[in-house]
Amino acid sequence: MMESLDGFAMWNEPLVGNLFGNFYYFRVGGRKLGKHSILGEAYKETWLGPMRDLVLGGAEARFPEVVRGGYLVIKEPNGSIGSPLLMEALPESRMIFLIRDPRDVVASSMDARSEGSFLQERRDGQRRTSRPDRNPNAYARLRASTYVQQIEKTRQAYDAHGGHKVLVRYEDLRADALETMKRIYSTLEIPVEEAELARSVEKNSWENIPEEQKGEGKFHRKAKPGGWREDLTPEQAEIVEGMAGSLLRELYPFPSTA
Amino acid sequence: MPVFRYPTVSGVARRVRAFLGPETGVDGHSAGGVAPENMIWIFGTGRTGSTWLAAMMEEPEGHDVWFEPRVGTVFDPQRFQRHGGKHFILASQYKDVWLRSIRNFILDGANARFPELAGGYLAVKEPGGSVGAGLIMEALPESGMVLLIRDPRDVVASWLDATRKGGWQSRRRGEGGRRAESLAETNPNAFVRRHADAYLQHVGSARRAYVAHEGRKVVVRYEDLRSDTLGTMKRMYGELDVPVEEARLAKAVEKHSWENIPEEEKGQGKFYRKATPEAWREDLTRRQVKTVERITAPLLEEFYPKGPAEQQG
Repeated sequence: MMESLDGFAMWNEPLVGNLFGNFYYFRVGGRKLGKHSILGEAYKETWLGPMRDLVLGGAEARFPEVVRGGYLVIKEPNGSIGSPLLMEALPESRMIFLIRDPRDVVASSMDARSEGSFLQERRDGQRRTSRPDRNPNAYARLRASTYVQQIEKTRQAYDAHGGHKVLVRYEDLRADALETMKRIYSTLEIPVEEAELARSVEKNSWENIPEEQKGEGKFHRKAKPGGWREDLTPEQAEIVEGMAGSLLRELYPFPSTA
Repeated sequence: MPVFRYPTVSGVARRVRAFLGPETGVDGHSAGGVAPENMIWIFGTGRTGSTWLAAMMEEPEGHDVWFEPRVGTVFDPQRFQRHGGKHFILASQYKDVWLRSIRNFILDGANARFPELAGGYLAVKEPGGSVGAGLIMEALPESGMVLLIRDPRDVVASWLDATRKGGWQSRRRGEGGRRAESLAETNPNAFVRRHADAYLQHVGSARRAYVAHEGRKVVVRYEDLRSDTLGTMKRMYGELDVPVEEARLAKAVEKHSWENIPEEEKGQGKFYRKATPEAWREDLTRRQVKTVERITAPLLEEFYPKGPAEQQG
């Protein structure tokens, strides 16, 4: 929806956050990065600058038209692990903290990686049997763990970011896309024409996706908040709730019905 | 999902250029600090004598060592093999853009850590980042490169000793070390296989970078360093075109010789273990030797062309 607006472009998953975040937070096995490490804490100023250049240079090379005045939306959910570093390197940027009920995230991920799904076909040859099919509970645990890791880092970035920022729940987008989009732009202080926004919302609505492109195993699956109740076993829901409990209570403060 | 107002990009670039002023080089780096042509990268893998070599390289006046920055690990190309699209930050279509950033990462990091080294030489001990050696040498084509190798059978034997219960590596690495220790103890054959794979990956990447690098470069074998340290060091600096006073070099070699390491710091389970080429004959089982030879065959044939242990009798 953001890309459809005049003067906007979208950078689809540069994974720059993954590049740095993974090393900075995890690759050294939890050990503190010493002064010699290229991403050593003591020399942060010296590497945040080149990191900023890497993002800005990459953006300029890919979207030269936006340089003349416009907005670049960077879709980077899989780079969320490095979001605290990214936002520190680009403090004047705006930030959206996009969340969704972890149970629906896990259910969607299990469907996407099941035998015959769009993602499984795309990665055909990499694995003979998909992980959710082999051991669904173990997969639910693994995916919930990734969710917690990513959302916790995003929240850390969001809390620390001094610039314009907004928290958006997927469920609110589904319930009232136009109003939620208006709230996003006004909070981020980006002027957009309401009529154009309405057209974009309509164009990209669930109802306008052809039926044959929707359903189980497809990229567009259900778009149904709370769909996890049909998709996950009670045991799987408990696994997710156990791992993402504090985030769930904070971001989705209503009792489980699992 | 950061959103930034794009005019900032050009504005930032302009401000940066103005800040750096006319002294700035073509890549945005000032003439001071560590010169890229005075950097010497040491690639290979762990347990090849890189600490020893780095200690000797640190001794001459005006020389220093950057100890394992792991920049090659941050930009490990194998980590991102499946992200081939043009949107990926390291997409090949935009290589000139991000290679410049990698260069800046390194030079800014070097200048911040070694500000006193202007005009001097900086050896970068980076065996653990060898997976990214190709990108690093491409980003710094004027730098020198050392491909430091050691018989993979001795390397694996050394890791096995270091990681066994009570070994220096398992003590140093905490939880991660305990997991590795457990594998070394419970399934040493699997441990050997894993480390032979790692050797192939690290040294293989370093070797490819070495072949591609058109600047100054030299292959140094641990075994040659052990048998004639001073001669090997002189050859190394000669190939790299780095002037070093021979008397000074001889002192450095003497200071860091095996014989000068206190006896209590040497031995089984310690960082300084044997320093004996071909000690793998005592340390590994026949099956383990075969495993290492099978996995690292292309590198063994090239650098240690005696043939497998069976043929050596």
